[in-house]
Amino acid sequence: MEYLRPQNLKNALHLMKQWKKKATLIAGGTNVIPDLRARAVRPEVLIDISHLKSLAYIKEDKRKIHIGALTTVSELASSKIIEKWAPLLSHAANQLGNPLVRNRATIAGNLADGSPAADTAVPLLALEAIVVIQGGKEKQVPIHQFFVGPNQTVLKRDEMIKEVIIPKFNPNAKTAYFKLGLRNSMAVSVVSIAVLMEMEKTFCKKARIGYGAVAPKPIRAYRVEEMLENKELTERLLRACCETIGKEISPISDIRASKEYRTEMASVLLKRVMKRVTQ
Amino acid sequence: MDDQQYHAIGKTSIRKDGIAKVTGQEIYTTDVVLPRMLHARVLRSPFPHATIKTIDTREAEKLGAICITPRDVPDLRYAERIVTIPSKTFKDRQVLTNTPRHVGEAIAAVAAETEDLAEQALSLVRVEYERLPAVFDPFEAMKEGSPLLHRTILFGQDEIQVKNNIAASREIVEGDIEKGFKEAEIIFEETFETGRVYHAQMEPKSVVCQPEADGGITVWTTTQTIHNVRQLLGEIFKIPLSRVNVKKVALGGSFGSSIQMNSVVPIGVALALKARRPVKLVSSREEDMHDHCKYPSWIQLKLGGKRDGTFVAGHMKVIIDIGAHNTQAYPLLGCMAGWWVSLYKLPHLKFEGQAVYTNKVPACAMQGFGNPQVTFAVESMMDMMAEKLEIDPIDLRLKNYVGLGETFWGQGPTVKSIIRSCGVEEMLRKGAELVGWKDKFKREKTEGVIRRGIGMARGFHTSGAGAPMAGEVIDYSGSIVKINEDGSVDFLTALMDLGGGTLDALAKIVAEELKVPLDKVGISPVDTRTTVYDVCTHATRGIYCGGGALHKVTGQAKTKLLEFASRILQVPPHSLKMEVDEEAGQGMVYVDGVQGRRISVGEVAKTAQINDWGTIAAVDSLRQVSCPPCFMAYFIEVEVNMETGVIKPTKALAYADVGQVVNPDLARGQLFGGLYRGLGYALLEDTQYDEESGELTSGGWITDFKMLTANDLPEMDNIEVHFTDTYEPTGPFGAKGIGEAALNPVAAALANAVYNAIGVRFTEIPITPEKVLKKINDHCKINSEKLTVKN
Repeated sequence: MEYLRPQNLKNALHLMKQWKKKATLIAGGTNVIPDLRARAVRPEVLIDISHLKSLAYIKEDKRKIHIGALTTVSELASSKIIEKWAPLLSHAANQLGNPLVRNRATIAGNLADGSPAADTAVPLLALEAIVVIQGGKEKQVPIHQFFVGPNQTVLKRDEMIKEVIIPKFNPNAKTAYFKLGLRNSMAVSVVSIAVLMEMEKTFCKKARIGYGAVAPKPIRAYRVEEMLENKELTERLLRACCETIGKEISPISDIRASKEYRTEMASVLLKRVMKRVTQ
Repeated sequence: MDDQQYHAIGKTSIRKDGIAKVTGQEIYTTDVVLPRMLHARVLRSPFPHATIKTIDTREAEKLGAICITPRDVPDLRYAERIVTIPSKTFKDRQVLTNTPRHVGEAIAAVAAETEDLAEQALSLVRVEYERLPAVFDPFEAMKEGSPLLHRTILFGQDEIQVKNNIAASREIVEGDIEKGFKEAEIIFEETFETGRVYHAQMEPKSVVCQPEADGGITVWTTTQTIHNVRQLLGEIFKIPLSRVNVKKVALGGSFGSSIQMNSVVPIGVALALKARRPVKLVSSREEDMHDHCKYPSWIQLKLGGKRDGTFVAGHMKVIIDIGAHNTQAYPLLGCMAGWWVSLYKLPHLKFEGQAVYTNKVPACAMQGFGNPQVTFAVESMMDMMAEKLEIDPIDLRLKNYVGLGETFWGQGPTVKSIIRSCGVEEMLRKGAELVGWKDKFKREKTEGVIRRGIGMARGFHTSGAGAPMAGEVIDYSGSIVKINEDGSVDFLTALMDLGGGTLDALAKIVAEELKVPLDKVGISPVDTRTTVYDVCTHATRGIYCGGGALHKVTGQAKTKLLEFASRILQVPPHSLKMEVDEEAGQGMVYVDGVQGRRISVGEVAKTAQINDWGTIAAVDSLRQVSCPPCFMAYFIEVEVNMETGVIKPTKALAYADVGQVVNPDLARGQLFGGLYRGLGYALLEDTQYDEESGELTSGGWITDFKMLTANDLPEMDNIEVHFTDTYEPTGPFGAKGIGEAALNPVAAALANAVYNAIGVRFTEIPITPEKVLKKINDHCKINSEKLTVKN
């Protein structure tokens, strides 16, 4: 296996185009290194972009915040901008892996890996983030269209994530995030949930719900969102939502949890976040 | 006992290997680098049961690799664990096998200039397998017609037939249980199951071997016993022990996983002998997880008692799924019987145990050697009985426990001794008071999502395997102590420190006996050539047995020292006293009440040299004649989430009877560690198998073998540790063991707390959220507002 270290983004893209399937891009390495060890990937070349510091930033303008692809999860977790404008992402970043992983793992790596349990994807779905992809030319993909299936995204072999854009959320909106794992640190989610609700007293104007580890990819719970939007939130409605969510998801059984447990937890966590945002 | 008389024992001090460890200077096996050293990799079976039809190593050899296959290693069966006497030892292991019996068993190995090249060479070895039917469930394995793993095995020198995959069995009877159960007014029966935990010791098993010009070998390896490794290598490779030298290097934890000679050791040696060059073989974490695990157990327990809470009879049936090899389940079964009968008095009892082969990773000793399994069953049942009899669980325990003056089985039915120190009453009564047991245990149950409970359990472990008579288990330690001309002291022992600070405790014993400052006592780097035999650091025997032997030898050196001092001071030796002079940095010998008759230990040693009086040194060995139990109690509080099934331990109190505490900080550390692993045992840790492929569902990945993290434990402020005021008359300065005791009762205390919180009894560990939720759904009514327990 060859190790390549391009000077800049342009060179990196050039190398990716040159090597295509034979190359694996590496930044933090918290997914790639275990995959290499498990021989889940067997690239001929490893293109290391971890040193391209110009891709590590958190900026804000009037309406949006911009997160560079190589921003680490630790940086997300400690950013005042994220805390203010995307608190859901702060919470998720704080609970991802452990401090060692958070110091290395990048937001783009977490997304590009395409894990159904990707911790940053779940709040980004609720926040309606946009993934900026750089290949031959730049394009923007809404996060809910970014994931295709287990470890599959819309990224082509010669493309990489350049930036994640998050529209600043309405400060009056209520948010909540929960992650259920087999332990409190270093855990892959059994189920995770992020919600953003714009409320007027008990009237729900807008609902965005992201889920992790309950489908082949991180998903939005559209049916439940629709049940909630422009409705008066009653206990009866919330209970109905908790029942509907079981039909909207398609979890699998794996070494962490059974399908049945995940289904039940999807409902329990929904109830929890609803309790949080309606209080 | 009053610590004030001691300057080293009972005092907190920085451990001698602490700086080397925290600065990364300590040498572990993986740090050993030799000139011209090759790197080895092992080819392991992808199948749970197969025979090898052909192995072709030609392509690998073209790369320059040295290859070994079953043809290249001595054709004999051996037992990798030789703590048991030879006549009671089962042998079914080979260095490399033509018949792999579990996924991950070693078939061939290669050595090359780099690890990368070795990997490449390994991928070029061609193996033709013929798959054989496999069996994974012990109950299936015992059925007629099930695939047989071993047709025959060796028991001592005799070849014996294996029937129905039963590797070993034991039946132990005392009294008459039929009569006993007839006398019983109340009978309980329950089945308990415990998980197949991976040791997850920090350092994966490794070896470095150097072939010597005289045909001998020098070996550095991860082990709890350098002398047993030496003996086994001598036996397997037919090399006189005088030419087999095993070097002692620091061990990065073990939890029992290196009580036996690690399977990689003879592979590394065979490669080195063939290559005529040093070879290093370091297991990957994945290989390590395919190498060993804790004994999972299935325990059927029946207890009979009187209405007043007195026990009259007990019957325990045990099935152990030992996996593909017998890493000495015979002593395990004996020990399990012993742990059981030593917990509570039973006039009539019967123990029946069977150890069964399955096509899984071989199980071996792990922290407690059957004790956590037995204690989980017995201590859970104690609470069940207490509830039924309407007796406080603590009172029921106090009524029946085996204590002072009674017989204790330290290591099965052949290793027994009389208990001479016992803090059980103190730990139960004071512990209960400290946690507010009476109020909390009987508190009103809530109906919310979060439910709180408190539980307790007690237990013990043996301190070593000593007894007046030689039993099935070998217990023997020895040391060399020499006093240097500046008053400092060297001691040499083969006893391994598994990471808990055992050797630090031993240094304190020397310092205390000779009244020299602790920093003047040096722990010598040693090997099998420079030490006398020490059996193994296991069975919580380090301080009590290893330290006991060292105490004896230090006493002998002291006798010589005092004899020489008496010549100098011109008084008889028995009129001399010793004290430490920390300012002078010396031990002092003096005559009480006589001015001017005072001399330092160093001056005595130097004077003895100048005058040719002889060496102030001693060498000797000892088997302790006792195996005192170190007692342990835990009080644990939990919160159970009725919606997710998650159990959160919120508070814990550990109360230990370790006799005289040698180093308070390290003793506390042992208790924290025991609590941590015990909670993991109770809540999470397990290795599961895919029944199709026979492979671990984790694939050996540590990321998929979940253990608790610091974040899953109660906050540090909510963990309390206490020691009883006890003194073991047979121990060095009153000390006994602690390590394994610290783990044994944790799972039962936790299960009892869960029962107290939600009224549901778990008899199978780990108690995962899914299992909790399933039982809650079966037993409790849930609505979204509140949850009501069905009656």
